[in-house]
Order: sequence, then structure tokens, then C-alpha cells
Amino acid sequence: MYQNAIELHGISKRFAGHTAVRSLSLTVPRGGIYGLLGPNGAGKSTTIRMILSILLPDDGTVTLFGGEPASRDLSERIGYLPEERGLYPRMKVAEQLTFLGEAKGLPRKRARELTAQWLARLGIADWGGKKVQDLSKGMQQKVQFIGALLHEPELVILDEPFSGLDPVNSQVMRDVVVEIARGGGTVLFSTHIMEQAEKMCDRVAIIARGEKVVDGRLADIKSEAGGRHVALAFHRHQDVAARVLGDRSLVARVDDYGASAEAELAEGATSDQLLQALVGADVGISRFEVVEASLQSIFIAKVGTDAASAPAREDMAHA
Amino acid sequence: MHKIWAVMRREFLEKVRTRAFIIGTVLFPVLMIGLTVLPILLDRRETEPKRVAIVDGASGDVGMKVTEALAAARREGDNGAARYSVVRVPARDRVESVRDSLVAITGVQQEGVEGLDGILVLTDESVDGGRIPYLGVNVGSMADMRKLETELQTTLRQERLRRAGIDVFIGMKASREVDVVAQKVTSGKLTGESGASSFMLAYIMGLVLYMTMLLYGVQVMNSVMEEKTNRIAEVLSSSVKPFEMMLGKVLGVGGVGLLQLSIWGGTAMLVTTYRAPLARLFGASPDALTAMKLPSVRPDLLAVFLIYFVLGFLLYAAAYAAVAAMCNSQQEAQQANTPVTLCIVAGFMAMFSLLNEPSGSLARTLSLIPVTAPFVVPVRYSLAPIPIPELLLSMAVTLAGVLFVVWVAGRIYRVGILMYGKRPKISELWRWVRS
Repeated sequence: MYQNAIELHGISKRFAGHTAVRSLSLTVPRGGIYGLLGPNGAGKSTTIRMILSILLPDDGTVTLFGGEPASRDLSERIGYLPEERGLYPRMKVAEQLTFLGEAKGLPRKRARELTAQWLARLGIADWGGKKVQDLSKGMQQKVQFIGALLHEPELVILDEPFSGLDPVNSQVMRDVVVEIARGGGTVLFSTHIMEQAEKMCDRVAIIARGEKVVDGRLADIKSEAGGRHVALAFHRHQDVAARVLGDRSLVARVDDYGASAEAELAEGATSDQLLQALVGADVGISRFEVVEASLQSIFIAKVGTDAASAPAREDMAHA
Repeated sequence: MHKIWAVMRREFLEKVRTRAFIIGTVLFPVLMIGLTVLPILLDRRETEPKRVAIVDGASGDVGMKVTEALAAARREGDNGAARYSVVRVPARDRVESVRDSLVAITGVQQEGVEGLDGILVLTDESVDGGRIPYLGVNVGSMADMRKLETELQTTLRQERLRRAGIDVFIGMKASREVDVVAQKVTSGKLTGESGASSFMLAYIMGLVLYMTMLLYGVQVMNSVMEEKTNRIAEVLSSSVKPFEMMLGKVLGVGGVGLLQLSIWGGTAMLVTTYRAPLARLFGASPDALTAMKLPSVRPDLLAVFLIYFVLGFLLYAAAYAAVAAMCNSQQEAQQANTPVTLCIVAGFMAMFSLLNEPSGSLARTLSLIPVTAPFVVPVRYSLAPIPIPELLLSMAVTLAGVLFVVWVAGRIYRVGILMYGKRPKISELWRWVRS
């Protein structure tokens, strides 16, 4: 059994006049869920495409399944859900899925069986005869999702899998992903929604502007970021609270989420001091909890707010 | 291989199931049978004789003779009804006024008025000069005019002979027309084909090649476009090589084309083979259909036709696929495919230029250009034999051209299918091909 499902060794990809990925090295161990995080245009999709050999890196190498050079010949062992979903609009659901299975190298008969199984598993068995264009967006997403997993791949790569999904469908797919990981499979998914990654991933890598910012076990990244974070919520005198949190001798940084906030304590300050200050300001505290840094705050601290609105080169990243 | 097969089967099945395919496949034979049977039916329906007035300003009894001849003319077919109902209007010295008054009731359809269908004007001048004015409602009908000419020809020729004092029997014999009865010989054997039928065959083949290249080429283009605009290309390209995607698509649509062609060809053969019973079914006499004689297709010609159909289709379909891969929308592709379409039109035009001289140097040159060879060679082959070495050379050159175009198209396809945004310039395309 191999150890690492994916290894990237200093891969780069340049498009006309701009570098989408710059000497990126990552290791995705076998088993578990790996989050590839980054703002829009960070190079997530380009990286994924290089892993899948849809694009070839200009420099560096990609090896899969413990050292095999990446190529389309390995595609039978990989499931891929691209960011831009696409299905043949006039094709029937079951036939479409069977075809996607065949395209992965399954024999037709086996692809048919698996299609029926998956449709039943996601509770849409009676949709098999419908044309894709007659389905709702959410349904199409489900079909696409099945298409990526039909051939029971040992490595599943999902590019922004939960975008545009309603909570119910989102949960269904999350369950499937978790199940794959439990069964020993490897899941790599990209997202720019940190809460999602935080809930699901064992490991993450954050990339920005084509470069790796941080990677590793989520727990390690969090403990490294330190335990000096306070999750806050209050329901009175927002302006007064803002002034307290603005005191740089107490609070180094605040991520204000509106109804709640996350504060990083300043050097030398204690949580007691902050609590005291807030009580004194009479802001009506409803939550005060010393926590690990959230992925969101780590992300913003590492990437910086400017990168969160990275250059709008998404179109080129598709190139 | 398995993947190309899967892509191909999907393409084939999806295309064959479309309404457009079913309608096209059924409609064409129906149209063909209709076009064969309809004229017979219409001819039969038209039992009313044509009402023709003869304005007789000629001296002697020419007018009488013409009148008799026209009145005796029968329609073809078993009913043999009179073709004309003739009235002779003697009009010495006032030909024009009589003619004009008759014109006033020609083509008039009113109650109480017996309208005329046409007026024939005979004068000494026109009889001698052989240019007989006919004023009628049916002058646009080539068939009607030709029949009328044939009737007049015989009568007037006899009249002229008589006037010149020559024995009519001897004169007619002497002035009998000469026809070259052409029969085709291929590699030392009489084929039993007439010259006209081998021309027909060449023409039909050229037309079929032209139509299918254009129709199915554009289908490949639209199909690639669909994959690109619906973003299916990316899912597929993670598991299937772009070249395999393209090839599967081209072969799938090609299979659809072959299926449709064989259905059409089969219908055409059935219709010709069973045209006699078919004619009886519609109540026409079998000999009314003999005019429609499809030439027999020799197996070697069929083989040449199929080989070049396949080569030409691969060449143009790959080119259309590449065009679609570098465009972002149907409209854009419609513009960008102009060069490819022009090549097909050029190939089609080239066929006409060699109908007269199928073994000339132009024809030989065009047979060695991959773009025109698929059109030119089958047509040439049907008209005149092509030496085997020349044929093999043409095939080799065309095949090389096809492989080159497919390779270039595959390169463009590989990059283009995942590229959204601006359409690439020629220089960029070149980079794609080289990369």
C-alpha cells in the first residue's frame, strides 16, 4: 500500500503573461479528507487540473498513488468533479452516467449496474429516464456528483463541490465524502469557504497567488496559530464594544463577522483583562470563549485581506 | 480503444435518436419517390387537351397539314388522349389583327369564354425560316415546347421538301438526324451503360459527397461546440485523451452519415428495381418510368467512392472539430468555419470543371490535392478509368493529408476544448500546434 496519494514537487504553470501556480509542493497522504484552500484565482483549479493531467506543469512533477507519474492512464482510479459542472443536456440521466463510467474505463455492463446502485443510494432512482435538461440545478449537481464517484475511485478530487448546493443536498454529499474517507479513500477538495473545510478536513493547504502559504494537519495548524483567540458575541452597544476591541494593548486583531467576532489577544494581554474591559463597557455579552483560532482567521492572518480579493484572473486560470 | 468506442457509440446513438435524423432519413426517400411518381400522376391527371389556335397566314395547305398533325398527336401512356384541340383560323393578309384578337382570350378563365392555351402563327416567312411564333400560357414548360417542336418539325420538313419538288420519302430519309449512341467501356469490357447515365452517376455522386461532407462536418462542429459550451469537455478530458474524444466524435458522426447514406442508397435502389410495380401501383404505365434509369454502380466504383468518402469525411470533420474547439459559441463557429466550408465548395466546383475532361491535366492535378481529391477522384473514376498507379498515388497523398489535418486538428482541439475567452489568433494557433 502506498503512503501518499498525491505528491506535487515544485510544480509551476504559466499562462500568457501570468503565473497561475508557482513552484508548489504538496503531499496528500492516503486516506482522509484534504482541503485545498485559497481565495478566488489562487490557482486551486489549475493545480487540480495538473494533478489530473488535464494540464501539464511547465516545471516540476506530479506523482500519484505512491510515486507513479501522473497521467490519464491513472484516471480509472480517480474521480473528478470539476468546478464548472457540465452534462449533456439532452441525454438521459442513466445513460449519461453509464457513459461517464465507460469513459473511465468501466465495461458497459458494470457501468450500468453501478449507475443503478448510485441512483438508488441517493434516492433518485426514478430520475434515470429523465433528460438532464429537465432536472433542477440541484438535481443536476447530484448527477454530476455521481458521475465523479461512479467507478469507485480510490482518489476523489472535488473542485468547489458544495458551491450552489442547498443545505439538504450539501449534507447528502458531505455524508458520501466522509464515507469514502472512512472506507480508506482519499478525498481532495478545494474551497474558499473555510467553515466547510474546518468541519470536514483532516489536513489542509492554503494557497494564495499560486504559492503555498501553509499546509499540514488542521489540528497542527491551529495549535501553531496559538490558543490566544476569543470568540465573542454581544447584543448591546456595538460601537462601545468596537472601541474596546480596538484597544491594541488588549486585542491584536479582530475578525468581525457582524453578530459575532473573533479576537486575537495582544502580546501580554490576558483573556481576563479583555472580559473585564467588555463587562465594564456594558455591551451585553452573550458569548465569551477562549478558543483555537478558526480556520477563517488563520486564513485571513496568513493570506491577508488583500489576497482575499486576488487579481481577477479566473478566466486565465481556466486556460 | 475502449474509450474511443464509448465516445463513438454515445455520439452515434444520440445523433440517430434525434428527430432531425429520423425526419431527414425518412423525408429524403419520400421526396425521391414523390419526385418520381408525381410527374406521372400529374401527367395522367392532365387529360384535358391543350386548346391551340393556328393563325394561318401561309399560302397553300401548310396550315391544314399542321392542324391535322397536331390534332393527331396523342398523349403518352395507355389512355392515349388527344394532346391538342386545334382550331385553324384562316388569316391571309391580316395575321396580326387576328393574332391580337386571339391573344385577348388566351389564358382567360371566365364563364362563357372558351379561353385558349396558345396561338401558333404560321406565315410563309415563318414556315420557310423555321421560326414559328407561339404565344401561350405554357411557354415556360420545356417539355410542352419540345413536344410542339417535334410535331412541327416533321410536318414542316415534309412541306418544304414538297415545295422544293423533292420526293418526300427520299428527302426524309436523307435528312434523318445523326445520333452518337455512346456506350461506356471500362478496362476492355462493355459496361452496358450509356454515356448519359454515367454522367448522371458522376453528378449524383458529386452531389452526395458535397452534401454529406457539409452536413456531417457541421454536425461534428456543433457536437464539439455542445461539449465545450456545456463544459462537458473538462469532465471528459480528465479521463479521455482529447485526441480520443475528437476521434470518437468524428467516427460516431461518420457512422451516422454512413447509415443515412446507405438508407438513402438502398431506397434509391429499391425504387429503381421495383419501379414497374411501383408505377402500376400508381396507375401509370411502366414505360412512363423508363426515362428514369439509374445507372448500375459497379463494385469497384462503389469501393472508390466509399474510400474517398471516408478519407474526405475524416479530413473535413477533423477540421470542423478544430474550428469548434477554438470558438466559444455557435455564432463564432459559424464564422470561423468559412475556410473549411470554402474548401468543400471548391472541391465541389472542381468536379464540374472536369466533367468535360476527366483525364486532363487539371483533373490529374486536383486528384493529388487532399482537399479536392475526395470529390474529384470518384467523379473521375465514374467517367473514365484511372490508371491504378495514379489512383494509388492519389489515395496515398490524400491519406497523408488526412493524417496531417487530423494531427493538427487534434493539437488545436487539445488546447482549445478547455480554453474559454478570446478566440485565438493564427499565431497562437501555431503555438498550440507546436506545443
